[in-house]
Amino acid sequence: MRSVLADILGLSEARVAAFTPETPLFGALPELDSMAVASVLTELEDRLGILIEDDEVDGEMLETFGALVTFATSKALV
Amino acid sequence: MRLCLGPSSGPVVLIAPALFEEANRLRAFTVAVMRGLAERGIASILPDLPGTNESLIATEDATLVDWRAAFAAAVPSRPAHVVAIRGGALVDTDAEVVGRYHLSPPTGADIVRDLVRTRLAGMREGGGAFDPADIDRPGPPITLSGNVIARDLLVALKKAAPSVADRTIRLESDTRDADRKVVGRPLWRLSEPDTDVMLAETIAEDIALWIAQCAA
Repeated sequence: MRSVLADILGLSEARVAAFTPETPLFGALPELDSMAVASVLTELEDRLGILIEDDEVDGEMLETFGALVTFATSKALV
Repeated sequence: MRLCLGPSSGPVVLIAPALFEEANRLRAFTVAVMRGLAERGIASILPDLPGTNESLIATEDATLVDWRAAFAAAVPSRPAHVVAIRGGALVDTDAEVVGRYHLSPPTGADIVRDLVRTRLAGMREGGGAFDPADIDRPGPPITLSGNVIARDLLVALKKAAPSVADRTIRLESDTRDADRKVVGRPLWRLSEPDTDVMLAETIAEDIALWIAQCAA
């Protein structure tokens, strides 16, 4: 997940290494605008071999680093 | 309109470019690969599909059938190899060529899902309302990612699969099958457009080797 965010948003390794589950994402990270959200989700699909439906995407899963990881993990394990 | 690089005889590569916004993001990378090929004595051609770049057709009139026909018509008289970049792999189906090489080919459904996802994301930031189901209903062209696209093209893309390639390359981070996986960022998906000189060199080298082996 850290490398997805680093690659798509152009964040440094040091910056993503410092992310904790509580780190706020959408709304707090200027690099993560709506267009970038779409790119991040599509990249997650490719890397995890999952499919994310449009109605699964809500504000909550994008609020924090931990929420996004939880979402991705739950999809990957199904 | 098309871009041609490299020698006027010998093997030639016909590039099937990525589609929609990915083409813009990959332009610098594509040209870098073409230069790498030219340095290895291989000419390449990068055509404009109808309704893209400097083509005279309006974007909203483009259809998949038109794209495939236009691409097939772009095959030069000397033996050509196709190198399809991303969605270009959906367009090279009708071309009569010596071989096909695909870089990270998506299905048409993947492309449409990404376009829809970006449009829905734009809605959250005040863009116009959009119902993905509209694609399958008759109606005027739909604007996705800054492109005005005919519904027929979207419907056709949703069902389209890449042509069968002789060699498929993907990024290491991609779970799908490939003949070779290479390290690199997904340049077609970055928030800020970028190119990757090392990846372009790696790909040019890989293509050159593949062409030499095909000819052997």
